[in-house]
Amino acid sequence: MYNPLDLTGRRILVTGAASGIGRSVAILSSRLGGNLALVDLDETGLEETRIQLEGDGHIGHVCDLRDIAGIAQSSTKIARDWGSLHGLVHAAGLPCVVPLRVLEPDRYREMFAVNTEAALALVRSFQSRKVYAGEKGSVVLISSVMALVGSATVAAYSMSKAALIGMARSMAIELAPKGIRVNCVAPGFINTPMHGKVAKFWDAEQESRMKALHPLGWGEPEDVAGAIAFLLADTGKWITGTVLTVDGGYSAQ
Amino acid sequence: MEAFCAKLADILEVDEVRPEDRLQDFDTWDSLSALSIIAVLGSDYGIQMSAMELRNIRTVAELTAAVPREKVES
Repeated sequence: MYNPLDLTGRRILVTGAASGIGRSVAILSSRLGGNLALVDLDETGLEETRIQLEGDGHIGHVCDLRDIAGIAQSSTKIARDWGSLHGLVHAAGLPCVVPLRVLEPDRYREMFAVNTEAALALVRSFQSRKVYAGEKGSVVLISSVMALVGSATVAAYSMSKAALIGMARSMAIELAPKGIRVNCVAPGFINTPMHGKVAKFWDAEQESRMKALHPLGWGEPEDVAGAIAFLLADTGKWITGTVLTVDGGYSAQ
Repeated sequence: MEAFCAKLADILEVDEVRPEDRLQDFDTWDSLSALSIIAVLGSDYGIQMSAMELRNIRTVAELTAAVPREKVES
């Protein structure tokens, strides 16, 4: 049966694969026939994801994305030992809920490194001949609805996620001749471990106000994984430099 | 302790805070100052305090008591 989302034969690297959206897109991609290189700092979480993947030939790679200089080494090693890559999903990310009055650089540098600088370093190494398989290239960066609409206490997080949208557009132009597409997915609040870290800053009233901002309710990781798979597969082959908002209607208001 | 109280005074935009001061009596006390305290406790002292826990704290003395002394002085 014809499956337009078929990922058979594609090797896809997913960061943040130990939990949340990263884990979910890895599982879905494996069900669509893809082979996955799972990257995360959390070795236990990586193994928990790996055993949920369908098919064989997947690998886990422990990597600290705060070490920007080490990213090229890691992806080159993965490509050399496992195989060159067709896809890259940067789902690793850190939250940052800090009001402006205490938003000193030390309180957002680590978040900015993982969310944004690591994305740049990952794509930079992905597009090299040592890493890229040379065809059907698709990069998906996980941005956020917070890059598109404002909210108190998340200025630094918004900065990190909006930067992804800007860089994706420029990289899309630069990498189109190589056949590499670069897109962002901008999720609303998703039921993930990161959501739990953010939600602890809310009291019951704030929680219900935030939930009301999502006409379709809180999202699940699977809701975002489907959108990512759409961009990875040939369904997205004429889509590049864009943002797919997956937010349960948050930004429609 | 002094360093923590100085940060608290910064957040509340006052010159100093005293142990007996009630947090809600500061005219700058609002949800953003509460979130600022939670952010500073997390990033500078490694203490994860929820918004609900902070809501039960009434005075500066109660707040500093919630922070282990060795961490406040470090």
